[in-house]
Amino acid sequence: MAPSATLSHLHRPDGSATYTHNGYCIIGAVNGPIEVLRRDELAEEATVEVNVRMAVGVGSPKERHLETVLTNTLRGIILTRRMPRCLVQITLQVHSSAEEHTSLGSKFNSNLLLLPHLLHTSLLSLLSASIPLSTTLTSSLVATTPTSPGPVISPTAQSFLRHPPTALHVFTFSGDRKLLLSESEGTFDHEQWDEACEAAEEVCCKVSGGVEIGEGMEVEGVDENLEEWLRRVVREKVEGEQRWKGAS
Amino acid sequence: MAATLPVVLPGDQISPSSLPKPTKGNKPLTLGPGLQHIPPNTISTTIAGALVTDAKKNAAWVEYNSGRYTPTAGDLVIATIATGGAESFNCTITPNTPYASLPNLAFEGATRKTRPQLATNSLVYARILTANRDTAPELTCVDPSTGKSEGLGPLKGGMVFKISLGMARRLLAGRKGGVTVLGGLSEKIGFEIAIGRNGVLWVDGGNVKTTLAVGKAVQEVDEHALGPEGQKKVVSKVLRDI
Repeated sequence: MAPSATLSHLHRPDGSATYTHNGYCIIGAVNGPIEVLRRDELAEEATVEVNVRMAVGVGSPKERHLETVLTNTLRGIILTRRMPRCLVQITLQVHSSAEEHTSLGSKFNSNLLLLPHLLHTSLLSLLSASIPLSTTLTSSLVATTPTSPGPVISPTAQSFLRHPPTALHVFTFSGDRKLLLSESEGTFDHEQWDEACEAAEEVCCKVSGGVEIGEGMEVEGVDENLEEWLRRVVREKVEGEQRWKGAS
Repeated sequence: MAATLPVVLPGDQISPSSLPKPTKGNKPLTLGPGLQHIPPNTISTTIAGALVTDAKKNAAWVEYNSGRYTPTAGDLVIATIATGGAESFNCTITPNTPYASLPNLAFEGATRKTRPQLATNSLVYARILTANRDTAPELTCVDPSTGKSEGLGPLKGGMVFKISLGMARRLLAGRKGGVTVLGGLSEKIGFEIAIGRNGVLWVDGGNVKTTLAVGKAVQEVDEHALGPEGQKKVVSKVLRDI
């Protein structure tokens, strides 16, 4: 099932998006470029601030780590030098999260499960806020399991029960197929990592003719790749904005 | 029905075939908002929107209708006075951005002896004189060449309505923008309006009822993206209620 997204639905922030996929629902809001606190001010570029709020409970080092990863990734794609001494503020509220955590048990205490969803939400919010970006990004979670023949792409709670993973990876690719982020957890060897990376690239980026999805790989309900999905979401937004031209 | 414009995402490279061809000899290509030139000859987009080209002006830009207003020199805005100083007023164009400065002498007929007295939170209709990323924008209420106000200056009375940036652009574009609701309303009722590119519409209809009716009509046209027919319906509904 492809993720579903609504853009620019909040009227207070400059840009907003709600993203739903695999039981996760995240609301993102972007404000920017706005005035920055003097102590965070950078003379030559914009400051990027990411706030992650969990569905329940107060913030913990886990969220702070996610925020750091997100900030560093997004700073790479936002044209920060276009907006010196400004602030781009991204707020991500996790509305609901799936029960994958419980099915994974205590082996993984990671927040990698949430990371691709947070990245997608923040990108959509940035697009909605019309913040200048150098490129887009697409991200995917990949699980390496001993029981299934290949890596499992964007696994759900059921597939975790069926194939308990030994390692989890998050790969993020830019619009021009460059690897932006790779975070892994668990036990895996170099070969498995390569395999997982290839599988993620397949699902994230546009297939450039002749490349086929490897046999035996479990592509769970991903019928369009994420790049195509992103284009479709943006097309809907632009068509909504241009509809006055054709209206009677 | 207008032809559907190509949708672009940030980082897309614009092929030379989709850029306008100069009609007359050596007119340089102009890149508008949302496009950047990466030397030597790559042109890529930075925001998501519809790619628009104009062969006559040899220009290309990305049209979008979301996000925050970024001050550009020459734009008409409705600014709010935040504080007044000895030299200039500090104004807000959009919330939470650095103040724009409006010199005390940048009003029609203002001299050192007769300066306009503007209280905090009063509105001014002004033109952006300078705007760049390194300094705070500077506003003016007079045409520097003639010294006349040409409709700019403090806005008294009336009420402010929020509209989308695209709607403000359309309203200021005149006939090209395709907004007929104001023309339709003005045949029966009298009102005064000012449109700021920062997504602000100021209406003064003389009484509260007219002001609200006009402002709400424009907001409805904006929200539902109404065409000429829909706008006519809005006009007749408003005129019936008044």
